[in-house]
Formats: sequence, structure tokens, C-alpha cells
Amino acid sequence: MASIILPGPRRGLQDQIGRLHWPLIIMLSLIAGAGVVTLYSVGGGSWSPWAGTHAFRFAVSLGVMIAMGFIAIRYWLALAYPIYFVALIALALVPFIGDVNMGARRWIDLGPMQFQPSEMMKIGIVLALARFYHGIRAEQVSHILYLAPPLVMIGAPVGLVFLQPDLGTAIMIGATGAAIMVLAGLSWRLIFLGGVAAVGGAIAAFRFGILHDYQLKRIFTFLDPDSDPLGAGYHLLQSKIGLGSGGLVGKGYMMGTQRELNFLPEMQTDFIFTIFGEEFGFVGAIGLLLLYFAVIMTGMNIALRARSHFARLAALGICVTFGLYVLINAGMVMGLAPVVGVPLPLVSYGGTVMLTIMAGFGIVMSAHLSRDPDGASF
Amino acid sequence: MRVNSNDPEKKEVVTRRAALLGGGFSLLLAGVGARLFQLQIADYDKYQRLAQENQFNTRIIAPLRGEIVDRFGATLASNRQNFRLLLMPDEAGDVEAALERIRRFVEIPEDKHARLIREINRTRGFAPVEIVNNLEWDDFSRINYELPHLPGAHPEVSETRNYPLGNATAFVIGYVGAVTDRDLEAPDNEDQQLLLRQPGFKVGRDGLERTYEKELRGVAGAMDVKVNAHGRVIEEIDDSTRPPVQGETLGLTIDADLQLAAMKALEGESASAVVIDIETGDVLVLASTPAFDPNIFTKGIPTDLWRELNESPYKPLLNKPLGGIYPPGSTFKMVSAIAGMRAGVSPSFRVRCNGKFWYGNRFFHCWRKEGHGSVDMRSSLKLSCDTFYYTLATQLDVDLIADTARKLGLDQTFELGIPGQHSGVIPDRAWKRRFYAGTPENQTWFPGETLSVVIGQGSVSATPLQLAVMAARIASGKEIRPRIVRFRGDLELPIPNASRLDLKEEHLNLAREGMYAVVNEPGGTATRSAFDNRDWKLAGKTGTSQVYRITNEERARGLTKPEDLPWARRDHALFVCFAPYESPRYACAVVVEHGIGGARMAGPKAKEIMTAVMTKDPARLKPLSPGALAQGADSVRRG
Repeated sequence: MASIILPGPRRGLQDQIGRLHWPLIIMLSLIAGAGVVTLYSVGGGSWSPWAGTHAFRFAVSLGVMIAMGFIAIRYWLALAYPIYFVALIALALVPFIGDVNMGARRWIDLGPMQFQPSEMMKIGIVLALARFYHGIRAEQVSHILYLAPPLVMIGAPVGLVFLQPDLGTAIMIGATGAAIMVLAGLSWRLIFLGGVAAVGGAIAAFRFGILHDYQLKRIFTFLDPDSDPLGAGYHLLQSKIGLGSGGLVGKGYMMGTQRELNFLPEMQTDFIFTIFGEEFGFVGAIGLLLLYFAVIMTGMNIALRARSHFARLAALGICVTFGLYVLINAGMVMGLAPVVGVPLPLVSYGGTVMLTIMAGFGIVMSAHLSRDPDGASF
Repeated sequence: MRVNSNDPEKKEVVTRRAALLGGGFSLLLAGVGARLFQLQIADYDKYQRLAQENQFNTRIIAPLRGEIVDRFGATLASNRQNFRLLLMPDEAGDVEAALERIRRFVEIPEDKHARLIREINRTRGFAPVEIVNNLEWDDFSRINYELPHLPGAHPEVSETRNYPLGNATAFVIGYVGAVTDRDLEAPDNEDQQLLLRQPGFKVGRDGLERTYEKELRGVAGAMDVKVNAHGRVIEEIDDSTRPPVQGETLGLTIDADLQLAAMKALEGESASAVVIDIETGDVLVLASTPAFDPNIFTKGIPTDLWRELNESPYKPLLNKPLGGIYPPGSTFKMVSAIAGMRAGVSPSFRVRCNGKFWYGNRFFHCWRKEGHGSVDMRSSLKLSCDTFYYTLATQLDVDLIADTARKLGLDQTFELGIPGQHSGVIPDRAWKRRFYAGTPENQTWFPGETLSVVIGQGSVSATPLQLAVMAARIASGKEIRPRIVRFRGDLELPIPNASRLDLKEEHLNLAREGMYAVVNEPGGTATRSAFDNRDWKLAGKTGTSQVYRITNEERARGLTKPEDLPWARRDHALFVCFAPYESPRYACAVVVEHGIGGARMAGPKAKEIMTAVMTKDPARLKPLSPGALAQGADSVRRG
């Protein structure tokens, strides 16, 4: 079976395992470990309800990542459009068969597990755009004929996710798509025009009431946190208190008072970085951010050493998604970005996001394993 | 078209752009790190402090309200354990459903239910609300047992105000009631908001409870507590406790035994009685019937009871000794007699009474149709002869009568600390000018009016307290001022210095002799009010003040006896007195509304009350000193 999927001459399984990018695996495991440790504290010093599940999910997701890494990059190339379309169809179906949760319809119930098509789309958009730019020449990238397909590919899922409504994910998908277009070599003139269009779109969203009240409120609160200190601004203030009172080395593991006293909502997901920063302080929080930085640099390094254009763009796209998660979540809990409900990758509790991210790194791993010249010439 | 998937040009672009993107990401991440530095290092102190404030809260410990005791330490107002049930609306979720569940165990009347909903809306669900109080122990323990099924319900033991004498002291002590928005806004309460907002906290609503609110309230204690984001206490920090200080004890001049005796004597009537210690001005008795039970008022006045009390013709909400004003009738004759002597009329001045007196263009009738024959000043009091006073009136200036009345304590209020005192009316020329300020043609004083004034009718009115003070001043010759609070806390209030009255002793003495004759000489109007114990001598004066004049038409129909009139049209019965005659110590006034006759109704009741006073002779007993309660409060209270 290995012969079908592994590139190049047959190798022993042991050899394959040895070729895995172990530093990447170790760093991802460290980050997930930080998540388990923090979730144990959030759970009040208990493996349930979060820490144990989180650890188990990471183990499974790590297996998925390695398995996906063993699939040669050319197969991912072949699967790129199908994956994108499956995700797009699922997204389109969400309004009809999805479950409503907290006012938004995002989930599809698949019996034992729930499935969030918007998460699959985060991988799908990367693969599809990478596939697209893989197939055209450099000078065609900025050509008017070749602009429409990527814009439609980005616009369709962004629109569907926005309607769920899930502003955070819509922004993430849109930004990731835009980043891949830039990476693919879009001319600066078009980048500038795109930027203007994005700003114009944002203004239009405000002006014509496309955004929901709670979305507007979050954004206004972000712009002026003191406007509603007991309402929408309350959680942000409590988050800053949590982080700030952590100081240099933190209050100590399981000693966070903001955590203990339930001043924050969604501590296990959106605000987990606050808890981490409260208990481990500046040293711990910077350490975690550096770990993320290292993961992204490693991912980019793998991307740039890949031999196919698809592998490069796909791996870079995954890094962009991952980086956006980190920046938006960290910015959000510190008052640098609106509270839009983006989790901290691998640390926040949540199975689908974890699987998405590890699947993404599976593609990166695939790019890594496929760099071998004797298997990667298309 | 076959594309070279590994076009070096494409690779070069991607590499360049990736470097830019990586650089951009690094910058943004550095920004995040800088923000982290600002929050965790630069502004650490600020957030550390905010986290502390988040964590700790101060919980108010309500002080015990100061007790109120009588002159010998008997409890008049104290605090009693109160089993009650609070509801935390935010814990209960659906408030209506929660109340419905609680209703299975305790009764919540509809109007109370509506009031609760209003209060919950007012506090926006954050503050606990008192659902029921004064629960029986059985109900309370049942609720405790069912607690898991009653989310948001919090059983609690607190202190509630208790008035052991019930309605007997209602008008002295008043009562406490729930805090209103107006209380919260009062400038005195600016620093007391937390305490006042304690669920079920009560403040003085009437009487001394209201006047001495500040002294009785005490000082709130506090305790630091650790709270979670919802304000729920999760830990009490014991060593942070600042204990509350109980409010000051109020020691009254009232004698509980005599107060009860007076209430008993007045039972069934709409009446009032005041007894004053002539030496000190101490008010021993301040009784008003019928009265309400302040213990019920403290729990919240039920609407139908309130309506009933309000609509009753017996005015059970009126503090009659202080706020009830009555024409003093013949009890005013001492004032007129003294005024007459001041005007130069000799005590031996004689008038022949044949039952009526012609003045102006009409007859003024004496109460005794047959007349009294020859009457001098002393016997005019004994017989209460109106004709004598009509004659006196023709030689008297009304302003001198009014001046004498004021010297004897009428037409004024006293500093008792009980709200609702009325000053009554003593008419004179200046009063008439004030009264008819809008119609100058009516301002002239007519001599005919003085004829009404001398017999305590017309516009003359006084409160029972004033009449008791008048008796005390006549008896002592001193400017007695009544007081009702002897001490508060450790502070003994001085007995007001009573200077000699600006009236001649011989004039006062004639009034005293006349009052003696009223009770003790044959023919006196109140001989049946003499003490049974012949060693004690009472001196007094009856009064019957007209409420309604029987018309000629009614007289023609055969309606002559006051008993035939409806209750509300019958005359008021009054009696003022002092005892013992030889060395006066106690002065008393009794007013029975619509009691028909002073001699018949008021005198006997005054006798009953004064007999109790003379028997106990409280002036002889050492009153409680301020410090005594603090040391052996319990023993004293039971003693």
C-alpha cells in the first residue's frame, strides 16, 4: 500500500518516519501541550471536561497530520479542487441542514461528530488557489483573464461564511486567499486596488447595515473600549486585567484569580491566552508566541524548499492561516483587534479547528517529504 | 497548454513575496509582544490593583438597632430573630416560576407578589430581594430542606424590630419600615447607601424611631469577602471583620406599667391621657386609643388594614395626646380666673348666677339651667359656673387671657422628639388679624367673642399634652417642660431647668384651691373622682367641650339628652388634675372624644390612672441610669 502513496523508490517505513520533520512535530506538540496544561487549570485542576479531550484530540490529529504527510504532494494537487468543491457544497448546505448554535448556523451534524464546513474551507481555499497558480505562468498572474477565477474562488466561500454569520472565519478565509494571490505574484498595482476595494467594502458593510448589531458592537467596543465597560467592553477589560496582573512570571500555575473567579467567558476557547498569560506571565506568554513564530518560520522554510509551485503556495497558505489565527486571537484578547471569536490554534479547546490546523500541517509535511528531487518532478 | 510547474520565475516571485510576508508577520507579532510588555510589565501595577478589586468585595454587616427602654429599663423596642427567605433573581432564572415554586411552601399575597416583581425590576435582578419574613420555624426548616428544588432561594436569619407593648407604645415609639428611594436620597444617608440597600433593612418611620434614627441605627460593620464575577461570595475573610456597633439605647421617661394602666383605662374609647412628673417634666404616660400594632406595621402594612385604620372614625392613626386638638372647655377656667386676677379682679368678687347671662343681643347660658346662685372665684371653679366667667369676660382683655394661657403652656409645642405635635389655638387680637389676613373687615375683635374664650370654647383649642403641662405649671408654679427621652447611649440628658412662672403665687394658689374643691368638696363637679384612699388628695377640673349645638328644631322634637345624638356629635369629655394636692408631683390630662361629660367620662378615667400612678409612685423609685443596661442588660430587661 505504501507504494501507492509514497513518492519515489520504495523506502522502509522506518526510513519514512525518520524523514518526517521532527522539529515541527515537536513544536506543534509543545504548543498543544501548553493547551492541555492551561485547559487543566481552566477546568479547575481537572482533566475533564477539557484537558483530557484536548490531549486525545491532539494525538488523533497528529496521526492525521503524519498520515497526510505521507501522501505525496502530487495527490494533493489532484485532490485540491475536489476538496475545495466538497467544502463549498457543504458550506452551501449549512443553511438547510446545519444546527443553530448561539444564533449562528455553522455546524453539520454527522452523527458521532459535528463538522464545520467553514473549517474545511480554510484548507480548501489554500489548496484550490495553490492549484490554480500552479497551472498558470508568472506573467499570467496579473492578467485580467486570470483574475476572475481566484476572486470567485475566494468570494463564494467568504460570502457563504459571512451569511452564517461568522465574521471572524469569513475574514480569515478572505485574508488567506488574498495573501496567496499576493504570494503568487500579483502586481503591486492590483494589490493596491484590492486594498482600496477591501476598505471600500468594509465601509459599505458599515453604511448599509450588512453587519449584525452584535458585530458592530464588537467593532465599536474595540475602537472605544470604555464606551460600554459593563457590556461588550467588559470581557475585554477583564481579559486585560487577567494578562496585566500576570506580570513578569505570572501568578503561578492554577493560581489565576481571573480564571478562578470566572471573570471571563469562553476561557477554554477564545480567552485561553489570557489565562495562560495570567498564570505564566510575560515570560510564558512571550515563550508561547515565540513557539508560534518558530512554527511559522519552519513552515515557510519547508515551503520555500519545495520543488513544485503548488507545494510552495499550499504550504505558505497554511502558514498564513496559522499566523492569522495567532495574530487575531492574541490581538483580540489584548485589545488590539475586535473580539471576533477566533481561537488560539492548538491551545484553544475545539476539535474541528485542531483537526483543520493539523491537516494543514499534514500538507506542509507532505511538501516536506516530497521535496526529494527523485519524487517531485511533475 | 503545458506549464512548467517549477518555473524559476514563479519560484523567485514567491520567495520574494514570502520574505515580505514573513517580515510583515514578524513585525505584527513583535507588536503583539510589545503590547504584552505594556500590559504585563509597564502597566502591571494598574492591572494588579484591578484584579485585586475584582476579587475582593466588602460585605456590610448590619448593626443591631438600639433598644428603647422605659424609665426602669423595661424593653419597649428590641430586636428579635427573624427567619426570612431571600431570592437572588439572577440565580433564580425565571423569577415568576421561582416565586411560583416558593408559593408551594409559603403564602405570598397577590399585592405582595406584585410589589416583589416591581422591586426585582427596580434592582435589575442583581440584588437579593426579601420574599417573606417572620417565618415560623416549621416553614423555615421545610424551605431549608427543599432548598435544592428552589434555585435562587436563600433562607436567612436576621433581626427584626419587636415592640413588646404593642399598640400601647405605638405613638411614643413609632415603628420602622422599609427603606424608600427618598431615604436613599436624603443627604444624611449619603454615606449609608450600602447599609440602606441591605435586603430588609428598616429605618424609623414614625415616633422616636424616626426622630432618633441616626442614634438608633448604629454603625455598620464590614467584612472582606472574596467574590466571583457574578458577585457571589465564595470565601469570607474572617480576620478582616470590622464588627458593627449597635445603635444607642434610648432611655425614656415613660413608665411601661403606668402606660399599660392608662391604655386599659381608656380602652374602648377614642381618648388620650398624659401624665407628667411635675418636678422633672418627665412624661410618664402618653396614651392614645385606639392604637395600631407597630409590630404589624414593621412587617409591611397590609393594604386592607391600612384602609380600615384610615377610615375608622376613632382615628387610630392619630397621635391624639400630641396631635389631637380639642376646645378645652371648662378646663380653661383656671386660665381665665388667673387672667381675671391679673386684671385686678378680686378673688372675692361675686356674681349671681341665674343660669343665663345677657350680653349684646342674646343670652349666654350657664351649663346649669337653674343657676348657681352667688358664686365667688373659688367656687366658680368648684361649680364650673359659666355665668361667673361671662361676667369676668366683660372686664377682661382677650390678649391678657391669651398671655396667661401661653404662660401656662398652651399655644406651643414642646421638644419631645415625637413628630406630629399640634400647637392648638389661643385666640387674641393678633391671632384674629393673622387668621383673617385676607379680609380686613373681619379682623376686629368683638367683646362677645371673649365670652366664648373664657369658657374654653370658640376658637380655643389645645392638645392633651398642653393641658397636662398646664396642670403641672399651675400645681408647681414653675415653667415645666415635658420631656420623653432621659438618656441616649451613655449620655444622660439634663432635666430642663424650670424657672418660676411669671404669675403671682396667690393667683396660682387660688386656682389650686378651686381645683381641690372640684374633687374634694361637696357640690364640686368631680367629687366622684376623689381617690378611694382618703390619704391622697386629687385636685382637678372637669371640662365638657361642645362639638355640636343642638338646634331648636331638634329640641322641639324632644332631643335634649346628649346620648340621643350620634357619637360624632356628642361633646368631648376632659379632665385635668394633679396629685397629691399638698405636695404636687403628678399632673394628668385625660380627653375622651365625644365622651359627653368631663365629670362622667374623663374624671373617673383620670382617677383610675392617677390611682395607679400614686400607688406605684414612680418618682420615689430610682430610674435606670444610662450605663446600667450595658453591663447587665438581660437582668435589667427582665426586672
